[in-house]
Amino acid sequence: MYLIKNGTVHIGDGTVQEHCDVLTDGKTIKAVGTGLATEGATLIDAEGCHVFPGFIDPVSSIGAMGIPGRYYDNNEHSDPVTPEMNLKYSIDPDEVNRQEFYKSGITAIGLAPTNSNLMGGQIAVCKTAAQKMKERLVKEGAGLKCSVTSAVKQTYGSNSQLPMTKMGIFFLLQETLRKARSTAADQRSEKQQVICSVFDDCKMPVFAAASSKNEIDGLLHMMKGEKVQLNLVDSFCFADSLKEIMEQKVGIVLGNVNNMSQIAKNGMDLTKLQDLLANGNKIAFTNTCGGWSEGREVFIWSAIEAYRAGVAAEDVVKMMSLYPAQMLGADERLGTLEAGKDADISIFSAHPVTSYAAKVVHSMINGEVLF
Amino acid sequence: MDRILIKGGLLHTMQDEGEPVFTGDILVENGKIVEVAASIEAPGAKIINASGLHVLPGLIDAHSHIGLFDFNHDKSVDDANEMTDPVSAAMDARYGMNPKARELKVAYEHGITSMLFTPGSGDVFCGQPFVAKTYGDNIFDMTVKAPAAVKIALGGNPKNTFGDLKRLPMTRMGVAHVLWDTFRRAKKYLDNKNNGVEQDYDAHLEAILPALRGEIPCKIHCTQYDMLTAIEVAKAFGVKFSLEHAWGASDYLEEIVESGCDICYGPIATYRSPGERRKVDVEAVKMLDDRGVNVAIITDSPILSEESLYHHMGEAVREGLEPERVLRMVTINPARQLGLEQRLGNLAPGRDADIILVKGRLGLDTDAKVQLTMIDGSIVYQI
Repeated sequence: MYLIKNGTVHIGDGTVQEHCDVLTDGKTIKAVGTGLATEGATLIDAEGCHVFPGFIDPVSSIGAMGIPGRYYDNNEHSDPVTPEMNLKYSIDPDEVNRQEFYKSGITAIGLAPTNSNLMGGQIAVCKTAAQKMKERLVKEGAGLKCSVTSAVKQTYGSNSQLPMTKMGIFFLLQETLRKARSTAADQRSEKQQVICSVFDDCKMPVFAAASSKNEIDGLLHMMKGEKVQLNLVDSFCFADSLKEIMEQKVGIVLGNVNNMSQIAKNGMDLTKLQDLLANGNKIAFTNTCGGWSEGREVFIWSAIEAYRAGVAAEDVVKMMSLYPAQMLGADERLGTLEAGKDADISIFSAHPVTSYAAKVVHSMINGEVLF
Repeated sequence: MDRILIKGGLLHTMQDEGEPVFTGDILVENGKIVEVAASIEAPGAKIINASGLHVLPGLIDAHSHIGLFDFNHDKSVDDANEMTDPVSAAMDARYGMNPKARELKVAYEHGITSMLFTPGSGDVFCGQPFVAKTYGDNIFDMTVKAPAAVKIALGGNPKNTFGDLKRLPMTRMGVAHVLWDTFRRAKKYLDNKNNGVEQDYDAHLEAILPALRGEIPCKIHCTQYDMLTAIEVAKAFGVKFSLEHAWGASDYLEEIVESGCDICYGPIATYRSPGERRKVDVEAVKMLDDRGVNVAIITDSPILSEESLYHHMGEAVREGLEPERVLRMVTINPARQLGLEQRLGNLAPGRDADIILVKGRLGLDTDAKVQLTMIDGSIVYQI
């Protein structure tokens, strides 16, 4: 048991409680409130510090990049449609450990396929602490990762294989859905079973990489009327398709804007994030751009860019914790500091969204203090 | 040109070490700073009210590839690497640079008024970097100094370039060999020249001579133990040099200090993996600064974005560096490394009027924002 005492506690849902305590018991949070006292709990003094729920990157490549050789265990590019692939089997815990994610307050990642396949496979949510795999794995089948970016046509078009154009990508998407649905339930292949469970039964949300305006518009046009929850990944040109994104209430996992100068390249208008939040769209951040990930720092950098563009600091915190947890359907365990949830907690010396001086002074995952 | 008086700002002049920030005025005339003082009277001058704002010299990113790696099209363009020979020292980066690259606008809107644009790092001798302002239409008019350095690269980039072609160098020892051999030939070429010995003209060796004469530095891309190679060879030929990127520098503090070299640290935030990316130790900039090494912070833009210069500064502050020290790493320190402190990176009479007005504390407040950017006395950006 740990009692984190007297911190400024950011619940993760946009609210903040001053001089607040967090009590953990085993792997979970037991209570959040003022003046908690429990005998036998180890005291962690958080006076003057900011306490946050663990941040979540919902679509990471880290754990499967196989660096430095880059063998990409999340890139099964033998077929553009591989929805049956389960990313759980590709997690290299050493690679995750090496990133020292806790130093940036990131306690969980959704390991996702690259952008090479139209349907790449199923996201597995995993903690970042060096613990046993069964403790780390939060959820498999947390989302179906898709892509309509140029990466798909570059992967297959170069072998004179469908798709070699954007027309081909969307043709393949339409045909794959049609064929799966028109096949009798007992005749469906494993791929088709997964596709129908996602698009008809909404067993998991879709995370689809779409970067340019025509990719985003094409995807939203084709998905209009589909009932599965859609989240755009990368979505660097989101501000150019604001109306459609608001109408269809799709989520946004904003790619790593600092990679390859995305803000300059796409003339990104991040002030529009505020309009989306006001409209009820969920927004999250990822270290990934184009299907591959950079180091832990860029997560907070993207959050800072949102803050610089006028998003309120506590809304940014939501985008780092609650929203990604909800997008992955893992909010029963992750995303906020509330009784019953996993004790994934970071104690910062200041608010990391507003001050560069903010440093993680204690990090806890599954109720275990890492340092 | 107009006379402009910037009134009542908090001046970070970047002059002497430890000089306090003070409230004062700056008078600009004909694109140059003519006076910096607590209070200046200048009848007829256009007044810019800087009250409540921080006033700094325009920021310098001492290692950029903007316009050379051109991401402004559907497919990215690489005009930074003439990878047809590991010794391509004569390649002049100005001819590969797109001055209309969109990243430049983001740069001056963030107060970055000068950059060193460098070729590389696919060759051992990559070519000739130049220093230019970030605003303008014609790169030759924007240029402050060319060539500004001899760009050299060690490690994975050149060895992979030529290893893939089954050519020397395909190993680190191969890279070291090319380095030694080329410098030896350049030295002999210089000696012959000095002694009037007739010889064939060699454009690539010619391009290395200014470094051997001590006129410009070598900028050596290296990480980890490649630093020892760089230091050994650079010392052997007596060239002034900086280690670029310098991941893992905290393991080689003594060697760096003893060599007297400069450091251009960055970019950071790469994923960590065995090999060159093993140790991305931004805390090294404080360790080096404490030991008197001239450290600049760089972004490698557009690989990492130009606006990420703030994040880079912030990460150094997060690791314990004083915010006032980090400001020097993007102003006076790179200016001195490049021998341009008489023009750039500090606020004093005679300097180029590259001045920024900032609301908030850069490197500390994440929402610190440039309100006005002046380059050569012209306001190029204003909120």
